[in-house]
Amino acid sequence: MTLQTYTLKVSLNSSPEVLERVLRVARHRGFKVELMSWNDSLGELELTVSSQRALHLLVNQLEKLVDVTQVIELSDGLSELQQKKPA
Amino acid sequence: MATQAVPINKSQATANPKADSMRGADLVVKYLKQEGVDTVFGYPGGAIMPVYDALYDGGLKHVLCRHEQGAAFAAVGYARASGQVGVCIATSGPGATNLITGLADAYLDSVPVVAITGQVASPVIGTDAFQEIDVLGLSLACTKHSFMVTSKDDLASIMQQAFSIAKSGRPGPVLVDIPKDIQLADIEAVLNTSQAEAINTCPSDKIDDAIALMQQAKQPILYVGGGVGMAGAVDQLQDFVDATGMPSVTTLKGIGAIPNNKPYALGMLGMHGTKAANLCVQKCDLLVVIGARFDDRVTGRLESFAAGAKVLHIDIDPAEINKLRATDISICGDLTQLLPKLATNLDIKEWQQYCWDLKQEYRWNYDAPYRSIYAPKLLNQLSEKLPDNAVVSCDVGQHQMWVAQHMNFTRPENHLSSAGLGTMGFGLPAGIGARHARKDDPVVVVSGDGSFMMNVQELGTIKREKLNVKIVLIDNQRLGMVRQWQQLFFEERYSETILTDNPDFVALAKAFDIEARTITQQTEVLPALNEMLASEGAYLLHVRINEADNVWPLVPPGASNADMMEKV
Repeated sequence: MTLQTYTLKVSLNSSPEVLERVLRVARHRGFKVELMSWNDSLGELELTVSSQRALHLLVNQLEKLVDVTQVIELSDGLSELQQKKPA
Repeated sequence: MATQAVPINKSQATANPKADSMRGADLVVKYLKQEGVDTVFGYPGGAIMPVYDALYDGGLKHVLCRHEQGAAFAAVGYARASGQVGVCIATSGPGATNLITGLADAYLDSVPVVAITGQVASPVIGTDAFQEIDVLGLSLACTKHSFMVTSKDDLASIMQQAFSIAKSGRPGPVLVDIPKDIQLADIEAVLNTSQAEAINTCPSDKIDDAIALMQQAKQPILYVGGGVGMAGAVDQLQDFVDATGMPSVTTLKGIGAIPNNKPYALGMLGMHGTKAANLCVQKCDLLVVIGARFDDRVTGRLESFAAGAKVLHIDIDPAEINKLRATDISICGDLTQLLPKLATNLDIKEWQQYCWDLKQEYRWNYDAPYRSIYAPKLLNQLSEKLPDNAVVSCDVGQHQMWVAQHMNFTRPENHLSSAGLGTMGFGLPAGIGARHARKDDPVVVVSGDGSFMMNVQELGTIKREKLNVKIVLIDNQRLGMVRQWQQLFFEERYSETILTDNPDFVALAKAFDIEARTITQQTEVLPALNEMLASEGAYLLHVRINEADNVWPLVPPGASNADMMEKV
């Protein structure tokens, strides 16, 4: 696969280490963080990542994190893939 | 570990001042008992002293392992042999770092473990205090989840969440790091018992599609992983196998989910699997994957693994679906509920016959012309002597593969093997954990001379607890699996794998009051096994074997599973 860039909105339960958890998963699963914006009061992280790997490999792993409540793919401001974690 | 050189306030150290409140440390012990935990494994130290004070007369069995890594593996062994959450306890700093390998092992093999670590007092966290290390940070890559307790009011809830998370869905290890001041704080709390999260059932149209896919297949194979045992779905799986008649293969962790005496059970697949298992998988037109994850030791070269097959993947973890192999149909859910819905009759007689013929053609051959001991044969003989309820805990290396190949298991919880992480040093402490979980069942540790030395200090735990654990130590005076690869793939350059300077293992065992003997000839095997199994307490049987004995067959690195190397 060629290098692709994706933008995600990740909703999180705020905790002191929650950013580390997300960034660790992104790195370990082969995604480079290009840009990020974190709003602690909303618990929202907007993340632009690049990888040769398919996006679902990252989304599925992020959704396994206990503190992640929702992962949405944003592309050009449009929601292409909306995945909500089962309650 | 050395105790922390900070005096504790004496009034804080006195037990439980008020009936309606308790110290955080007492809360932890009370919670564990309420959770149904009967045994915990650990090692005391400065920052966990309040918890050890609470354990002193807390009514909970604590097993002192002789290294925190031993405590973590004992918790893993306890959990794997019982299906219950295993608990290990350590102090801050080095105590916690020593747990990490055990937690990583539990993470890779999806074992429910709760690790409790002491942390330095809240006000000094982040000051490089004595025995301070960022345990929460260390835990991120090797646990399913982790907590550092920052408020005494959160402690009860965090303990409950830790157990719930450890056993929900795909199980895994959870770490709870508790600063010393919170262990000493008075806490009023209501303790609620944990519950495994309910799992969404899948839509019935997927079940119908899956059944249709199975019925269309002419040559289906069931590829069974550790998820079946973890889900408690062995009975449902065996009913499924009986209904469908589908030939099956298992992963290392799936061993025991389908007994080898089922007619179309082809044994383990993968790098050291049976030739029948690998050839049938390569030829199949449908791979029905149950609680397995296409590990590289299973698939060999991924692109050529069952290349002509469609895939039906059933697992509790959505992240395993389409991770390494694209599926045609996938179902995520609880195997105990799904498997009965999927059971259907199949018309695959010709395929069954083909698989059965290969199973016969590639049966294990135990003829060994030489006088020295042939470990596969010894393990097969041991297996025949053990009752079905025996637990075998093995280490990592050649002997581990021989256990997987040549011993027969009727339940996955009877075969403890570090599969995902491949952790040398696992066998002895995991066997100690199993000993406590399964008090009425025989426990046998099978180890190698390399692995055994990695947690040899746990002989001290066997002595202290007077544990009836039998140890079969297969000794080729080598790090055998690495030696085998050096022979085959590194031009016989035996770098750091020759252990002719091993200690006297019999004398070593005897130093811990463990009966022991050495055997070197085939003729000694049966009498020695009988003597070991008839012995009253712990026993170490030291078995010298030829260093040239390798594990066969073998899929070389990077090769297809169709191209197994035979004995050279």
